[in-house]
Formats: sequence, structure tokens, C-alpha cells
Amino acid sequence: MNAQNFADAATDSTAGTERDIKMVARDVNVYYGPKQAIKGVSIEIPTDEVTAFIGPSGCGKSTFLRTLNRMNDTVSGARVEGDIRLDGENIYDSSMDVVQLRARVGMVFQKPNPFPKSIFENVAYGTRIHGLASSRGEMEQIVEQSLKRAGLWDEVKDRLNDSGTALSGGQQQRLCIARAIAVDPEVILMDEPCSALDPIATAKIEELIHELRGRYAIAIVTHNMQQAARVSQRTAFFHLGHLVEYGDTSEMFTNPREQRTKDYITGRYG
Amino acid sequence: MTFSVALLLILALGVVAWLTARGKAAAFATSARSHSRPGHHGWYVALWAGVPALIFLIAWSATVPGLVASETLSAPAAVQLPADPMERSAVMAEVRGIASGELAGGFHPVSEQLAPIYRSATTRFGWIGFGIAALLALGGGAYAWFRLTPSFRARTAVERVVMIALIAASLIAIITTIGIVFSLLFESLRFFAKVSPIEFLFGTTWSPQTAIRADQVGSSGAFGAVPLFWGTIFIGAIIAMIVAIPLGLMSAIYLTQYAPPTARKWLKPILEMLAGVPTVVYGYFAALTVAPALRSFAATVGIPGASSESALAAGLVMGIMIIPFVSSMADDSIAAVPQSMRDGSLAMGATTSETIRKVLVPAALPGVVGGVLLAVSRAIGETMIVVMAAGLAANLTANPFASVTTVTTQIVQLLTGDQEFDSAKTLAAFALGLVLFLVTLLLNIVALGVVKKYREAYD
Amino acid sequence: MTDPVATPQVPERRPTDWKGKVMQRRIANRYAAERRFHAMGLGAVLLSVGFLAFLLVTMIGNGASGFRRTEILVPVDFAHAAIRLDPASFRGPGREAALAAADFEGVLFESAQARFGGGVFKILSEGAWLTVRNKVADNPDILKGKADIWVPASSAIDRAAKSGTPDPELDRVRKITDVRTSFDVSFLVGADSTDPTMVGVWGAFKGSLLTMLVTLALAFPVGVLSALYLEEYAPRNRWTDLIEVSINNLAAVPSIIFGLLGLAVFLNVMSLPRSAPIVGGLTLALMTMPVIVIAGRNAIKAVPPSIRDAALGIGASRVQVVFHHVLPLALPGILTGTIIGMARALGETAPLLMIGMRAFVSAPPGGLTDPATVLPVQIFLWSDEVSKGFVEKTSAAIIVLLVFLMTMNGLAIYLRNRFERRW
Repeated sequence: MNAQNFADAATDSTAGTERDIKMVARDVNVYYGPKQAIKGVSIEIPTDEVTAFIGPSGCGKSTFLRTLNRMNDTVSGARVEGDIRLDGENIYDSSMDVVQLRARVGMVFQKPNPFPKSIFENVAYGTRIHGLASSRGEMEQIVEQSLKRAGLWDEVKDRLNDSGTALSGGQQQRLCIARAIAVDPEVILMDEPCSALDPIATAKIEELIHELRGRYAIAIVTHNMQQAARVSQRTAFFHLGHLVEYGDTSEMFTNPREQRTKDYITGRYG
Repeated sequence: MTFSVALLLILALGVVAWLTARGKAAAFATSARSHSRPGHHGWYVALWAGVPALIFLIAWSATVPGLVASETLSAPAAVQLPADPMERSAVMAEVRGIASGELAGGFHPVSEQLAPIYRSATTRFGWIGFGIAALLALGGGAYAWFRLTPSFRARTAVERVVMIALIAASLIAIITTIGIVFSLLFESLRFFAKVSPIEFLFGTTWSPQTAIRADQVGSSGAFGAVPLFWGTIFIGAIIAMIVAIPLGLMSAIYLTQYAPPTARKWLKPILEMLAGVPTVVYGYFAALTVAPALRSFAATVGIPGASSESALAAGLVMGIMIIPFVSSMADDSIAAVPQSMRDGSLAMGATTSETIRKVLVPAALPGVVGGVLLAVSRAIGETMIVVMAAGLAANLTANPFASVTTVTTQIVQLLTGDQEFDSAKTLAAFALGLVLFLVTLLLNIVALGVVKKYREAYD
Repeated sequence: MTDPVATPQVPERRPTDWKGKVMQRRIANRYAAERRFHAMGLGAVLLSVGFLAFLLVTMIGNGASGFRRTEILVPVDFAHAAIRLDPASFRGPGREAALAAADFEGVLFESAQARFGGGVFKILSEGAWLTVRNKVADNPDILKGKADIWVPASSAIDRAAKSGTPDPELDRVRKITDVRTSFDVSFLVGADSTDPTMVGVWGAFKGSLLTMLVTLALAFPVGVLSALYLEEYAPRNRWTDLIEVSINNLAAVPSIIFGLLGLAVFLNVMSLPRSAPIVGGLTLALMTMPVIVIAGRNAIKAVPPSIRDAALGIGASRVQVVFHHVLPLALPGILTGTIIGMARALGETAPLLMIGMRAFVSAPPGGLTDPATVLPVQIFLWSDEVSKGFVEKTSAAIIVLLVFLMTMNGLAIYLRNRFERRW
């Protein structure tokens, strides 16, 4: 079965317009030891849109996100079954290089985690390890460009040598986004990027997600349904390891097909 | 003899006091609701019966030898005792021996005469102490016994005693520290009265043997401790660390970042066994196996000045001993770096080793440095390895195959001969001890400060 | 502050060619570096473990033969010896004095001389006559005739017999009489001696036991009480800080400093007996106490506050809370720390050298104030001996010491695994 079939199959399962698909997951099961955390999830991540994963805590949405750049490999006892493709390549195939995969599928975490280095070094880190800059000048250009894209340049351009940990929480999170952008990824995964931030910082990140959309395929996990409604075009609702419903955000929030989705969106549980 | 009997008697009285008082309290506990349980009343009386008597007994047993000695010395026969304090104490030792029956006869005739006096004085004072202790026990017990009423707050009183015991136990740490500082300081001052501190701290010639005779005490150059300081640093802070830091750090990295859980479960305790091997075993290993091997190696390669008691042998083995220490400090420091740092780096496509080298180790560096300082402090205070493997020649050399000596080696060397306690040679050991104490103290304070600050940074 | 996230004009970046040759080579290099680093880590662990294995193998290799000794069968003809010994004198009240006075050495020498012709001292151990004496003490009747007695061989014969190297003297003895090498009970039950074939570890071991007894009796209660006070009652003030700083520093003070303290205070000021287990125990107790306090505090800290609250809530006093609830729950942790501290004290040498426990003690100590030595110091003393026969005895003593330390540490690990509770 080739990648196109997968993409078709996934697309067929959801009513909607034809999309340019970046990542496709098919029948994904994830186990932590004997416990199954993800049960047969099939989903697609479109190229030019933001996909939101919502659901009550412990439903597996973060776990699923981490399978998309194989961060679950770092958890001992974790096992992934099924088929996940990036541009048609199986990312769990032995020929897939995990280092390159993670460069192409960047990630932003729940809590801002800048390295205890200078702002410049934080952004330059990924570029350095992947050898993406051939000169100091190019490196500076990449750092500046990434910080500008992350909307942080104006705030930090005069203190690039200050420690990244000295920034405020919202700035730190934008620094982490800049850090991810600097490696020139194709997909950016965001794992509840605003859960540790105040409303103003959250608004800035959301605005930033808007700006980044179109340039990168974005998947965002959030427990905040308003946020999902604000930033995403597609929404996937997870419950107890199952993908309950997946579709256009506007449709999902106005007219959910499943009762469980409806209950969750209307605040019955979660 | 009487001491242990008195001790048993007091304990027995305590038990009796506890039982009877508990019985008495149990009797009135049924009639009225008392503040304290019968057990508390029992303890109250038992403590009153036991503690004052015990304190007296200990104080008494400390003073009795002095009383007996002065009584013996005031006997008419004592005028025959020699005037020289050394001989005098030798005779007194004989007297004690004869009186206790360990010796059949004395070398000095006076001791035979004094022995009966000594023995009778010992017996008499023993009985006096016994009597007073018994009186105290009975009196204390009786006093407490008559205070017991249903409304008496025995529990509060007992708990106060417990609190006093807790505080007293805690103060022992301070007393020990004060004891160390004062005993080192006091003897060092006596040493510095004989040898100038400048000479001691900056002199480069160390040959304490020449200063045994009184006319040479403090003569120039005998107590210059610089070669010792150098030897200590060379072995403990340089050679040992060259071995221990890379091996310890890499072991910690492997065990925390790479090893599968089962391997870690087995390898970590095995590694820690290195720290549990007594230092005398390392010393023997260094002297028996490592030093000859290094010496023959040096001889084959043609390094001049190779000694069978080389700095390298001692430093190498000391480094091995320190590995688990560095490793566990590094382990703790790396574990304290938040998991999110590691995730952040891995999620950007860094390999594990890049993550370790560029993110984890730099982030853990203060903790690692603190650990290394602690390791240095431990290495320079280590004694047996250097005593057995490093030699006694006070050389100022950077040749690791040559013999150097260390502060701790010299302390042992100075104090294990047969010399007077007051000689400059003996006192020099205390001056060296003081330097060692201060340096390790400083290292520990700095290291603990660094580590603590680092922990707080990630808390 | 709330200015919108403006995207300034950002020059476009050419997309990264992940599949390109340069990038592929770079990746290959990075993985090679990763493998090298991994191998270095594994190498460091293996090297460290290898050192330990090498040390243990060396000690066992040298020391295993120390548990065995070579004996030679010597027919002793008491009845016809020049020195006549009367069996009756070795019975009854005067027995000890008679045993001490009788010239067994002469008797043995005479019989051996007759048997081996000459060089008796090269063949038999210096202390061989002690075996004869013990035989006579067991059964004085053998004095009436001849007796075949296995006596220890000299150190040279002993080594030749164990190593299997051809030795003319040994061959000569083998032709004359029987030679056997067997397990040496006297090594486990004897005390120090000047002759390596006669030494035993029991004297030093008993000294260690007595010393540890004193250490435990002092350090454990004081350590536990301090830990309880600091963790449960101490107010936050300068005194408490001082106590804490003292304890933390005492735990890191070099052990030899405690020896100097013991020398200056216990021996010179308090005039306690030199070389005695009581002084050694006191000194080691001061050293072990901080270890117990630190372990104890950690164990007490691990008891959740909810348990204290529950007990206080039903009207228990603070002392009752601690002694009825906190202490029992923290005890496994405290015991683990105590065993580890005691194991450290058991292996300690330097402070005991300072207080004179390096004396030559040929009989096991009878009490706390008798001159004694301890196992590590005994090892140190034997390691200094010139006679080659001491090498195997030193290593054998090391094996005995290590076995005990490993047992203690194993017990600590067992306790930790068995009783450790995660709250």
C-alpha cells in the first residue's frame, strides 16, 4: 500500500474539501508497558492548516502528538504500532533517521524549556548541531530571522547574550518556538504551549500561531476549547485513547456528530 | 568493679521504681481521670531514681583516680618516689598494676609499699561512691514517688526530660567540632611557639627528624611544609582527579543516560562497592601490585628517578577510590537537570551525546564542580593509601614516578614513633592537622554552597 | 506591551536539503560521534568495574593460600627425650604454671633434630612447639611414650609447598616424613604473632567487634536523637544552623583529624588507656554519628506530615507523635544509614593509628580497656612486615574484612529494598 492510498483513505473518512496532506497516521496503537494509551487512531495533518487535538486529560492526545516526531522513543517501555508517514515516508521505518525526522518535525513543550544558555545560543543550538549555517554571518541571519518569525526579535535584539532563562514565561515560550523554527522544520508540534502562561502571553502565542500557519503544518494539543476554536482549522477529539471525532473546527464546535464530543464541548465532563 | 555493681544496682532500682510507680498510678487512675498515663508516672519515678545517681556515678568515677593518687602520694612511703615526673609515673603505673593484681611484683621497691595503700584507697573511695549513688537513687525515687497524685503532670515532666536529652544529643556535634578546633589550635599554638608559622607555611625543607634533640628544636629549615602541601595536591588534587573525573563523569553519564534499567540496577551498586572497600585495602593494593608495576614500567621506558613508592601509584589508586564519589555527585547533578531540557534538545533532532555534551553537562556543571571539590577534599584527607604507597621523602618534584610525601602521611609518621608529647615533632602533626582541617573545611563549605545554589536554581 | 506580533520583512531561507549528500555525510559523522561517546561511557564503567574486579582477584589470588598452612608430621619421643616431662605435673592446680615452664621447644627440637638431621629451624615454624604444648595440655599421657604430631612448617617450606615450585629442602623433608597442606583453623581463631605461619585474625577481629560495640552504643542513640531533634523540634534559629553546619562538616572532615582529636582529648586530657577498644570506639563514634544523623534526617523527612497531623489531631503530645509514629516509620531508613556508617567505621584505619591501636597484641583483648588492635590496622601492620609469608596472610585478612563489609552492606541494601516505602 503506498502513501497515496493512505492519504486517500484518511481523507475519505472525513467529509471536507481536498487538502494538501503533510502527515498521515493510520491505525496507530501506543503502549506503555502493558497499558494501551492510544487505540487505533487514524488522522491526517494538512500542510497549510492548524490541527488541534482536544480531549479530557489522560485521553492520549499528548501521547499521540509525541509519536509524530518519535519523542516516545525516549520513554522506556513505550511501543508504537501502526503507520505514520511524513510526505509518504514511514517515520518508524528503519531507513528513517530519527535525528532528521525531529529536525523536520519540530516540537514546542507545555512548559517553556529554554536551555540555560544565552538567547542567541538557544536559537542557534539546532542550527549548529545540524550544521545548517556555513558561516557566522549566516548563523546570525538565521537567528534573527527565527526570532523575527517568533515575534520576539524586537524585545530581545539588544540582549541576545542574556540568558534565555531570564526572559518572562511568554517570551521563553516564543524563544522555544524560535528555536524550533531555526532548524527549518516542516511540521511544528505544540503540546499545550500556553498552559503555563498568563492570558496576555497566551494571546501573543495564539497570534503567532496564526502567523506561522501556512508556512508550517501545525498540530497543537490543548485542553482549552476556546483556544482550539480560535487557532485551528481542523480539530480532533480524543477520548480514552480513541479518536472520537475529527473534522473541520467550525463544524465540530457547531455541529458535532458524536454525542461524546457534544458532551465534552458543552462542558459535561473533562 | 564496684562501678559496674553500682551501675547494675541503679538500673535495678530504676526498674523497681518504674514498676511500683506504675502500679501506684494505675491504682489511682481507675478512680479519677488523671492527666498522665500510669506509664508516664512510672517513667517519672524511674528517671528520678536513675538519672541523678548515674550522673554522680560517672562524675565520681572520673574523679576517683585523682583522689586515690593524691592519697597514695601523701602516704609516708611516697617520699621515696623519684623526683623526675617520667619515672614517677612509671612507678605509679607499677603501683596500679600490683594493686589490681596484674603484676606480681614491681621493678621499683617503693611500688610494693605503695600498692596496699593504693588498693585500700581505691576500695574505700569505691564504697563511698557506691553509697552516695545508692542514696541518690533511693532519695530521688522517693521524692518522685511522693509527688505522684492523679493530678500530677508526669507526662509533661517526662517529656521535658526527653527534650533535654534530644537537645543534649544535638549539641554533641557542636562539642565535637569545638573539640577538634580547640585541640588542633591549642597544640598548633604550642608548635608555633617553637617554629615560626612563616617558616612552617612557606619553608621548602621538611626533615622533622633533625629536630628531636632539644638544642635543635626550631632550627632553620626543619619544618618547612611546602613539599608536603605540594605532595598532597599532586597526589590528591591532580593525579587522582585526572583518573577520577573522566571515569566518574563518564560512568555517571553512561549509567543515567545510556544503560538499560537492568544494567543500571546491577552496575551502579557494583560501582559503589569501590567506595566501600576500606582504604587500607587500596593502600595494600597500591603498594603490592600497582607501585612495582609502575616502577618496572618507568624503568623500561627509561624515566629517571622512578621510585617504588611513586606519587603515581598512590594517586592512581586514590583516583579509583574516588570514582564512585565523583560518579554519584555527577549522577545527582545530571538528574537534577529538568527532563524538559533533555526533551527540548532531543525534539530538535540532537543525538543523545549532543544533548549530553551541549545541554545536560553544561547545565549540570555547577553541581559537578561542587562534587569535584568535595572529591578533592576527600582525596587530600585520605591517609592510608598515601601512608602505604606514597613514601616519606619530602620532594618538590613534578615527576609522577618519583616519591613525594603528603600531609596525612607525615601526621601518621610523626605521631607513631615513641616520643614525648611535647616535642616539636609531635606538635607539628597537629599543625599539619590544623592546615588539613581548615583546607577541607573551606573546600566543603564552598562545594556545598555551589551545590545548594545549583539545586535551588532548578527547584 | 500588548503590541501585536508583527512579522517584519523576513528574507526567505532556502529550504534545507535533508537528503543531500553533504547532509547525509554529516549525519553519518554525528552518529559515529554518538557511538564513540556511548562507547566511552561504557568503557568508563567497565574500566571502573574492571579495577574492582582486578583488586578482588588480586586479593583472592594472594590471599586464598593464606587460609591454608603446611604441616609436617614429627614423631616426638617424649619417653626418651633428654628433657623429661612428668605427665602428672600437667594435671591439677599447677597445670598452667607447669605448661608455661616446660621446655617443649627443647623436646621438639631434639626429636626433630634426630629425624631431619639438621636445619630444623629452616623446616619447622618458630612456633611449632606451641602445637606440641597444646597436644600435651589436651592429653598429658602422650608424654609416656611416642607421639606423631603435625606441626606447622616454616614459612619457606610453607610457600614452597603451596606454590608447587621445586624446593630441595621440601623434597628432603618429603622423603623423611609426611607433609600436608590443609585448611588452617588457627588463622581464624588465633591472634597476632611474629611468625607468619602462626598468625590469626581472631585477636584483631575481636578488637574490631569490641570497638564497634562502643561505637554503636554511642553513635546510634546520639545520632537518632539528634536527627529527631533537628527534624522534628528544632526551632529555626542560629543555634540550629550551627548544629547543622557542624554535622555537615563533621561528615566531611578527614578521618585522621578525628584521630588527632582522640589523641589530644581522650588520651592526653582524659588519660584513657592507649590502644583500648573504648578509645577507638569513642573516636569512631564521633566520626559515625554525623553519618547516622544525616541518614536519620532523610528517613524522618520522608515520613509524610499527614501522619503527624493525624496523631496530633487525636490529642497525642509532640513526644508521643515522634516516638509512637514517626520513629517507627523512619527506623528502616535510620538502620540502613547506621549499618553503612558502621561499615565505614569498621574499615577505618587512620584514626585508630593515632590513638595507638597499632600495638603488637598477641592475645585477643578481654575487655574494653585491654590493649587491642582492629582488623584494618592488623592488615596495615602485616603489610609492613618484611617476611614474605605475611603477603598471603595480609591478603587473607583483607578477604575476611571484605566479606564482613559486604555482608553489612548487603544487609543495608536488603533492608532498604525490603522496608523502603514510597509515600
